[in-house]
Amino acid sequence: MSVPPPGLNGAHGSNPTVEALGVAVAARVPVLLWGAPGTGKTSAIRAMAQAMGLPCETVIASIREPSDFAGLPIVVGDQVRFAPPAWARRLAEAGHGLLFLDELSTAPPAVQAALLRVVLERAVGDLTLPDEVAVVAAANPPEQAADGWDLSAPLANRLCHLDWRTDPRAVADGLAGGWAAPVVPALPAGWQTTEILSRGLVAAFLHVRPALACAPPSDAASAGRGWPSPRTWEMAARLMAAADAAGFGDRGDETRSALVRGAVGDGAGVEFLAWLIEMDLPDPEEVLADPASFRLPERGDRAYAALAAVAAAVAADPTPERWTAGWQVLGLAAEAAPDVAAVAARVLARCRPEGAALPAQIKLFAPVLRDAGLLQA
Amino acid sequence: MADRGIENLASSRLWAATRFPYLASGVFGAQVIAEPDSGTVSVDQNWRLRADPELTAAWTPAQLGSVLIHHVCHLLRTHGERAQVAGVGDDEARTWVRAADAEINDDLVPAGLDLPGRPVLPQDLGADDGLLAEQYFEGIRGDRRPPAAGAEGGAWGDSRVRSGQSESGETAGPWLDCGSGADGMPRPGERPGGLAGWQADLLRRQVAQDVIAHAKQAGTVPAGLLRWAEEILHPKVDWRRLLAAELRRAVAQVAGAVDYSYRRPSRRSAVAGDVVLPALRRPVPEVAVVCDTSGSMSEDLLAMVLAEVEGLLRALGLARQVRVLACDTAVAPAQRVTSARQVQLIGGGGTDMGAGLSAAVALRPRPAVTVVLTDGYTPWPPQAPKGTRVVVGLLGAGAPDAPPWARAVRVEPD
Repeated sequence: MSVPPPGLNGAHGSNPTVEALGVAVAARVPVLLWGAPGTGKTSAIRAMAQAMGLPCETVIASIREPSDFAGLPIVVGDQVRFAPPAWARRLAEAGHGLLFLDELSTAPPAVQAALLRVVLERAVGDLTLPDEVAVVAAANPPEQAADGWDLSAPLANRLCHLDWRTDPRAVADGLAGGWAAPVVPALPAGWQTTEILSRGLVAAFLHVRPALACAPPSDAASAGRGWPSPRTWEMAARLMAAADAAGFGDRGDETRSALVRGAVGDGAGVEFLAWLIEMDLPDPEEVLADPASFRLPERGDRAYAALAAVAAAVAADPTPERWTAGWQVLGLAAEAAPDVAAVAARVLARCRPEGAALPAQIKLFAPVLRDAGLLQA
Repeated sequence: MADRGIENLASSRLWAATRFPYLASGVFGAQVIAEPDSGTVSVDQNWRLRADPELTAAWTPAQLGSVLIHHVCHLLRTHGERAQVAGVGDDEARTWVRAADAEINDDLVPAGLDLPGRPVLPQDLGADDGLLAEQYFEGIRGDRRPPAAGAEGGAWGDSRVRSGQSESGETAGPWLDCGSGADGMPRPGERPGGLAGWQADLLRRQVAQDVIAHAKQAGTVPAGLLRWAEEILHPKVDWRRLLAAELRRAVAQVAGAVDYSYRRPSRRSAVAGDVVLPALRRPVPEVAVVCDTSGSMSEDLLAMVLAEVEGLLRALGLARQVRVLACDTAVAPAQRVTSARQVQLIGGGGTDMGAGLSAAVALRPRPAVTVVLTDGYTPWPPQAPKGTRVVVGLLGAGAPDAPPWARAVRVEPD
């Protein structure tokens, strides 16, 4: 243990990447850390194994040959067996542990091809590693390692990609005051039962955006990172369930976001997360059918989105009933968020249907509109 | 007095959301907290605004609304993170904030931002409008001279409004701190909470979508903000990265095609008894670069891309295997060049890259990878040339597409 892990928790609180790494290890999803050389990826992973009490086998992929992962052929009688190397035997005997594949991106393409089965199926030659073995890899981005290769798309698709960023302040704190130990989340027994929920969410999203079910990257540069495929969506669902079960509270959201984006790639991941948030907003048609049921979202921008949606729904089909219902909704929101409601009120005021009586709620907005200089006398 | 909320907050936000409807999500997404005796309005990187109620009480709703918009723009444009990337030290933070202010104000002040005091504009920094904070910062970095009167003073200008001096006041007021959201330096007393990074990212995208939608519905959006939104929604990928990846991939595929060889036994054969193991063999591919030298090519751009290609090949250990062909309608003899400057644009009007490709394939030893650098205004052969992988660099904005059998990278001058 030479270099201390600067990416780890300094005095400035936790690091979502480390938490995400912990969740992925706990969920036994293969994970890959991308980061510049010398930033403590290797030490962090070893420290994490130590903290979890797991044996850690480090295999530097770039100095290995394909036969080290596919098994060395040995003639026994008239058969050829593929003998696993010693590190695989040790992990199999321990029954659990952490297989750490370092320098993944400097491994030549042939070695990367041999790694495919190891990463996903934990098969080394004729030996299958126990399910309890977690696979973690680390790599330098190809533009930072002179002899680096881009990860092949099939290998990239088997891993959850996390970006290892170093916080200069955490480095300063760590150098001065020592490095904090990594936090390993403990997943409660039976956490897998919630996986069915997150799978349902993913499935619902893919109904809306079928194009994202499988979208192999078109250029070579993005092929080496996460991209959406049935396998990675399944991985994302599993990771979401694990992140929820690990329960980081508010911070857990950041961790969950990193995991989802790491599995399916930034583009698809962000769309999925945005869709999840949108799903939490009330349906404007339901609100207009029953205005009393409206609950104003707490966050200002969400409240704005909800009220703007209601006003837009009324403006699209302004019947007197819907118009009045819209004002009732705004009346409910006026006390908590007069400014947000007033923006929607201006939209409603412009689409008054013929024969609709002026609602009582309109008076609620007069003071704030006048103060903002928006009310003509 | 101490626990008084912020007067006019609702009407200020309403003013801001009405005047700048495309920024409404951002304005309402920022949480405003009253912090008496802070003497300023500041913002942290988690979208929390701390305002001194005593200071803001003197402002009109339009002024407070403008300050809100200004601070939201600090957050939208991630000035805090960018300050860290730009390597802004503690002592340079104020200079950075002035540069960041200029980036925001240069198109929002003309659009109707009504900031109290005199806003920092690019002219104050001796620069043109429409640049990025990094560019403004480079211009004034290390400039130790005291700034021009009136330009000192933070986000929205100086604090003369507060101290009651008129516009003629030559003395700059005390520094009004914009907060960590503008310079990335954490302030004492900042607590965790607020919007998490990924939530802020989503909010940023939402605002960017609003901006684009507003511009499409015949609304007017300041050009700088529109550029920002385009960049958020369609980030431009550096062509150098794409070109590097395509080249590495082409070379890797050639090298990977004949990975194992029985010509040489494996050094591990000793343990395998009678089984002959293949050794890992990595042939070194030859590379040819075909340069379009017709009159329509930009010499500077070609030299830049050629230098990039050479650097990449050197990093892959292939510098000696490179041959460069200059080609318009006829092909000049292959030249082994050692520097991009040695390639001369001798061609005239016409272009035929098909001739260049056939000349490349005819070279011995045959190149396994052929890089074509062209502006795209050329006929192409209908099929891929045999025995070589083709990577096409399309130079210049608006170049026509490359044929489907080639891997293409668009190179646009930055």
